[in-house]
This record gives sequence, C-alpha cells and structure tokens, in this order.
Amino acid sequence: MATLPQLIEEDIARLDAELRELLERSDATTALIIDKGGFLITSQGDAQQFDLTTVAALASGAFMANQTIAGLVHETNFNSIYQQGEQFSMLVTCVDENCLLLVVFKAQVSVGAVKYFAAPAVKRIALQLQIAQERAPDAGLDLSVLNLADPSQVFKRKA
Amino acid sequence: MAIINQASKELQVKIVYYGPAMGGKTTNLVQVHDHVQTAAGNKGKLVSLATSSDRTLFFDFLPIEAMAIKGFKTKFQLYTVPGQVIYNTTRQLVLRGVDGIVFVADSQYEKMAENVESFANLEENLRTLRLNLADIPYVLQYNKRDLPNVAPVEYLEFLLNNRELQVPAFSASAHKCDGVFEALNMITRMLLHKFISQGTPQYA
Repeated sequence: MATLPQLIEEDIARLDAELRELLERSDATTALIIDKGGFLITSQGDAQQFDLTTVAALASGAFMANQTIAGLVHETNFNSIYQQGEQFSMLVTCVDENCLLLVVFKAQVSVGAVKYFAAPAVKRIALQLQIAQERAPDAGLDLSVLNLADPSQVFKRKA
Repeated sequence: MAIINQASKELQVKIVYYGPAMGGKTTNLVQVHDHVQTAAGNKGKLVSLATSSDRTLFFDFLPIEAMAIKGFKTKFQLYTVPGQVIYNTTRQLVLRGVDGIVFVADSQYEKMAENVESFANLEENLRTLRLNLADIPYVLQYNKRDLPNVAPVEYLEFLLNNRELQVPAFSASAHKCDGVFEALNMITRMLLHKFISQGTPQYA
C-alpha cells in the first residue's frame, strides 16, 4: 500500500502557504489537506466553527465511496466531489494517490471560482509532495523521539 | 498508516473495530465515548452513520486525544465498520490506513459461523488493500459473555485464535463496559510498541 512521503516543517509551511493563497484568491472559508485514510494533515482558514478532524474523516469516506461508485459505472475520473449547501458548500479534489484537498466556502461564493483557483493549487501541492517523496523516499522515523508514557493505561475509565 | 506531524508534534493513529453484524462494535465506541477520562476538549463527538434501526450504515467515528507518547499530542481515531455482509465495499473503505484492529466476536453459539466468516472477510479485505493481517496489531474481544447461550472461551480461541502466534483476547460485555477498555488499551500498547520497535509511520 502506498504511503505518504515524509513531510518536514518546510513542506508543511509550503502546503500551508498554498492553502492560504487559495483561500485569499477564491474567497473560501477553510481549506484542508487530508489523507485518504481520514487523517487531517494540515488546514488553513477558519478552524473555529467546524470540527475539522471529523470533517476530514467523513469527507475522505465520502470521496472514497464516490471513487468506488465511479468504478462501478466504468468511470475513472471522478476526481472531485461538490456539495452545495445553503450556508456553506464544499469541494473535495484529489491531489494524488494519498491526499485530498477539501475547500469549504460560503454558498454565495461561486464554485467555478473555487474550482478555477483550486486546480493550480492542487498541482503545486502535488509537486511539493513529490519533492518530499524524492528527497527521502525510504527514510524512516527517528524512533528516539518516541518516549512512551504508560502504554498499559493510555485510556482510563472514569471511576 | 499512522501520521506523525513533526511540525505540530502530533501522532495520529487509526483503530478499526471489526466483526460480525450486531456483535457490539458500535457499543464499544459508545462505551469508550461515555466512560473515557480525558482532559477537557480531548474527546471528540461520536459520529454514527446509522440507519433508522441503529444498524451502522457507513461507519462510526470517535476521535480522542490521549497522552501516550511524551512530547507528542497523540490523536486516536476509532472507527467501526458495518457488520452486515452486503456492506463489504464500505468495510474496505474504512480499513484504508488502518493501524490496529479490535475484532469483536459475538460469543453466542449460533453466531460462530458469522464470526468465522467475518474474520475471513477481514483477512480478504486487507489483502485487497495489499495488507497482511500478520503485519497489523490486532486483538480479539469475545463479547456478550453475560448472555446465557455463550460458547466457552476455549472454543472461540480454537475458532479465531488458533494460529502460530496467538494474539491477546478479552472476554467482554460491552454494554456494561466490561472488557472494553482492556481491549482498547492492549491494541494501543501493541501498535505503539510496533512503531517504536520496527515501524516507520508516515510523517506529515
């Protein structure tokens, strides 16, 4: 199974910069890069009014479900999903094999504009991920940083 | 695969509760949600995508933060899968990126065939994701031990844990919260030790 490349702080900073630029140009509210397994990698914009962890998990599930539907109707290019709302709308676009870009924007903002500005952003995000991959394709984690607290009782039941 | 974000010092791991329909997977998450001790704000909402008859349609999702590794904010994402046979595609989707599995078996005699079928289905679905169960930490939970018509634990062990390398197994009555935290803590311990001893989680 393919995995994400190692991303260092510099990568995250560039990804964040891309998201900020996308928000500014498209007048969107929040932008997230998420892993197709449901993890939130990074986000920019308004993080207060949405539960981004849950949004990431549900959006990746919805996207992957649509990919499966695409396969069933012999289509290989369902590479984005758009949900139109009354207050906010949402666009999820495939970045690469492992990641998605999710943009939340006010309903009065044109989805065409969001798509227009998201397209080059997706390319630059994918490029940054590729740079990271080529920098250290097989590098692992510095395990010395992991220092277990008490793994036998990570979760405690209320008395 | 887990994600480590060195920029924000965060570790994210995904644990999936798997097993036959009506075996108690969602009940496990509900009990964890209701009874876990966490600092304020560290427990997310339990999201349940269920039918009107409370059968899981897509998945249940519970994000929790816990202090597992010093210096890292550790975010656990707990998922269940729908147990009904027809939702196999959904189970495959939820398994993507899994780090650890709790297999929730139904201890009632008449459910043995479903337990075995579900376990075989888990192995098959992992193979479609190019994963091997032997490489993924998992524990077994023999649920519904408080019911009168349960099979002996030894029989469940024979059916589900009869391998060269046996995995930890827990007797449970999830609706009373018995055996819920034991299974969760064990799978957490196993997957964190895997990362430290041999794993290479993804960075983010």
